[in-house]
Amino acid sequence: MCAMRLTGYADKFGVHPGDTIKFYVNCDGPAEFKAEIVQMINGDTNPRGPGFIEKPVAADANGTYKGRKQIIHGGSYGYVEDAPQFHVDSFTLQCHIWPTTPKTHPRYWKHGAQGLVTKWMDGKGYGLFINEDGFLEFRINEHKITTGVPVRDHAWHFVAASFDAATGEAVLYHEPLIVYALDPVIEPVKATIDTKVVHTAAPVALAAYVETINDDPLGKSSLPAGVWFTGKYNGKIDSPRIVKKALTRFEIEQMKGGAQPGLTERRNSGPTGELSALIVAAWDFWDGISTIVAKDNGPYRFDATLVNCPTRALTGYNWVGENFDWKYAKKEYGAIHFHDDDVDNARWEADVEWSVPEQIKSRFYAMKLTTRDGDEDYIPFWIVPKIGKEQSKIAVMVPTISYMAYANEHVACNAGGAELFVYRVPIMQHQNMFLAEHREYGGSIYDTHTDGSGICLSSRLRPILSIRPKYDHFLAQAPWQYPADLHLIYWLETMGYEYDVITDEDVTYDGLARLENYNVIITGSHPEHNSGTQLDALHNYTQRGGRLMYMGADAWYWVHSYHPAYDDLGRGVVTEMRRCESGIRTWRAEPGEYYHQGTGELGGMWRFRGRSLYSVAGVGMTNEGFDISTYYSRTPDSLDPRVAWAFEGISYDEPIGNFGLVGGGCAGLELDIVDVTLGSPPHTLAVATSAGRHTEAYLLVMEDFGFNQQGLDGTVHPRVRGDIAFHETPNGGACFAFSSIAFCGSLPWNECRNNVSTLVKNVLDRFSADGPLPPVPVEAIKHRGRADYESPALGVTT
Amino acid sequence: MIPIPKKGTPAREAMIKQHRECVDSMKGVAGFSVLKCETPGDTTVVTGGVHENPDLRRVLLRMRGESPKGKLVVICTKVDAEWRIGRLSGIRGVPPKFVDDQVYADEQEIQHAIFLMRLDELPETAGMPENFHEGWKHRDDNWPVT
Repeated sequence: MCAMRLTGYADKFGVHPGDTIKFYVNCDGPAEFKAEIVQMINGDTNPRGPGFIEKPVAADANGTYKGRKQIIHGGSYGYVEDAPQFHVDSFTLQCHIWPTTPKTHPRYWKHGAQGLVTKWMDGKGYGLFINEDGFLEFRINEHKITTGVPVRDHAWHFVAASFDAATGEAVLYHEPLIVYALDPVIEPVKATIDTKVVHTAAPVALAAYVETINDDPLGKSSLPAGVWFTGKYNGKIDSPRIVKKALTRFEIEQMKGGAQPGLTERRNSGPTGELSALIVAAWDFWDGISTIVAKDNGPYRFDATLVNCPTRALTGYNWVGENFDWKYAKKEYGAIHFHDDDVDNARWEADVEWSVPEQIKSRFYAMKLTTRDGDEDYIPFWIVPKIGKEQSKIAVMVPTISYMAYANEHVACNAGGAELFVYRVPIMQHQNMFLAEHREYGGSIYDTHTDGSGICLSSRLRPILSIRPKYDHFLAQAPWQYPADLHLIYWLETMGYEYDVITDEDVTYDGLARLENYNVIITGSHPEHNSGTQLDALHNYTQRGGRLMYMGADAWYWVHSYHPAYDDLGRGVVTEMRRCESGIRTWRAEPGEYYHQGTGELGGMWRFRGRSLYSVAGVGMTNEGFDISTYYSRTPDSLDPRVAWAFEGISYDEPIGNFGLVGGGCAGLELDIVDVTLGSPPHTLAVATSAGRHTEAYLLVMEDFGFNQQGLDGTVHPRVRGDIAFHETPNGGACFAFSSIAFCGSLPWNECRNNVSTLVKNVLDRFSADGPLPPVPVEAIKHRGRADYESPALGVTT
Repeated sequence: MIPIPKKGTPAREAMIKQHRECVDSMKGVAGFSVLKCETPGDTTVVTGGVHENPDLRRVLLRMRGESPKGKLVVICTKVDAEWRIGRLSGIRGVPPKFVDDQVYADEQEIQHAIFLMRLDELPETAGMPENFHEGWKHRDDNWPVT
């Protein structure tokens, strides 16, 4: 109904002058498309603002290209190429499963049988499946045997199947690990089948099966190319085995232990030597959790390639609830959760390449794609100077990890509009409509998978339709993230500043070197998701005299790490985040599943790793609401000579930012405040506040209270507000925090002639000047406590 | 719980009137709430609506907490120009469908249209024991967010 026929992505977010960037385009229908490099100035189409603005860029890549359809083969699975050892006559298949959608709605996007352990294609081969009725099914060639019993979702089951070629006896076992009082007993199902297994070139598939192998151009983006997998399974699989004999039930029990290489009198236990000799493959998913390889510890080392990055570091069938970090109890973490909408890489073929000239400004750019029929898409990217070749004294740090966290977000559709927190009926853009149908484009870290489990991984090697200009987000009914950050870019351009652009990736990998040659770093409107080395770099920068302008709110909140298994494809390809014990969470990680699979670090909020969000720029997020915004008022702190310069041209009583393109005011969506008990430096000045003006849609964050009670909203709670804050850092550095996601939306108002613009200009002019900031008045240097003044926590309660 | 007010009752008409006033006043705001802007299109001073009408507030919360299946949603069909009403499928991978052919030229106006439709669609006893169903046992409401 709202088909997007043009979609695309690039191999890089940030590209250096002199380097090449590749663009991958799906042009589904039109014979050709036009590609043009543009500089992005403003992405907001709101008629009350400056309107959409882009600037053409002369580039040798500009031109008309032949269009072709390219598709994403979404859904995760493991595969092992065909090998003679898999060409068995008699065999046993076994594994533990924890299915999440054993039975799907007939209209579900991938309704049908799901593969568990299969070497089956087009009625030839063998495999263990869950069929479309949600029953366990054993396939041998065209023969199907089923228990006829629904497999309970979100429960561990042991499943196995054996076939004896000599007798034709096939046995199918379905053994739930938990049996409730009224559950009928599930007896093994036996059948006699007069057949000989027909072997094909199909790979062994874990959590899928092979539909066909052909040279259709659309199959090129599958892995392996040309092999079309289907029947993508939703749920966990633990310790799958293939054995070349029809085992007895007792032998199957022994085989659960898997291969025990190097069996001696002193080490290991497991199947007998005789039984071990029958192993074709015994995958131990606990081995190599930080990789995208499923290790086969059997004799043939049939390691499975994991495609589309299924979730690992998850509790297995044998987790006992005493160890919570997989690194110290790997064998209890032998589960991989496969999802039919996982995607790690679209694997498209490049259509356009651009060698970026050496002499070009570091800015926001995009590849603009159009057709004669009116199709349009933009692929944003950023030209980032090489270290040592900085072009400006000002750098904008583009929050690309946060963009990835929100990539292809589905909440408006999945979550019934999440209306309780947006406080209105949400608006879906055509990008949302496309994604609602094309789940293979993957979701965001705010979403749940199609099976309802949380999404904790996000790749940038796919079209990300939320990182687009002309895109209003349902959360704001206005620009959010990328297009909202363009409000800042429009302001910098209009005010005539020279600025460089760097990304989260650059700061994560390069550390201080990426920052130290700038006088000031300006953030985006919502840099919520951050790697540890990025926070280290910002700390090292501000401690050495660097200046930080924090233009938004709800930053430095979640722990992120780039998955190291993708480093060979470039920087920051896949980011991981777990929604752990607290924080604003659209889903919640399960017990024992708080540690990242890629780096092994504890996920969740930086706050709960002892790294207070307040410590980065002096403020921290306390509340959010998504209906409308309001304005700031100056406080007496703003008169302090340490900061009064920032308010030149702004009278004490005037409302600051009671206008804007995000919520109608500069204080809105998510807001930060000063709190010296949570990490704001003791000398932080709270120079303006929006206290008392927020609607009841604005609610206190849950990490700030321990007991549910009335009175948590903006009409009554004192912490539901935003505070603009300033503090000095050593060696002439400083941080200015504007503490509201909506803030940048007020900058373009009235062609940038407004008091928000005045305030930001005053700060930027001072922060971007060479050398340390002017010394503070001598009386400002004094001993300050943190909570030794009047405080409810410490005060006398009589 | 506050019952969904019946058709033709003064309570319902009062709610509709309040909602209407809020929607009209929010036109031009890059955001929306069921609150009344003192100056239309300007959020400097907002009053009324959900802040001052507890029954309206609770009815809206009940509507917002309804399950995704069949829930009404706004679909923008021309950026910053045209909007239509759709209904969520509640099934992953099945996109929303338009409920009718009506095209709205204002993104706030459609909020009122959906409010009226929901008043008609929700039974007076929505959320009460008379409407118990199996979904209550597996969190099929919209309160857990995702």
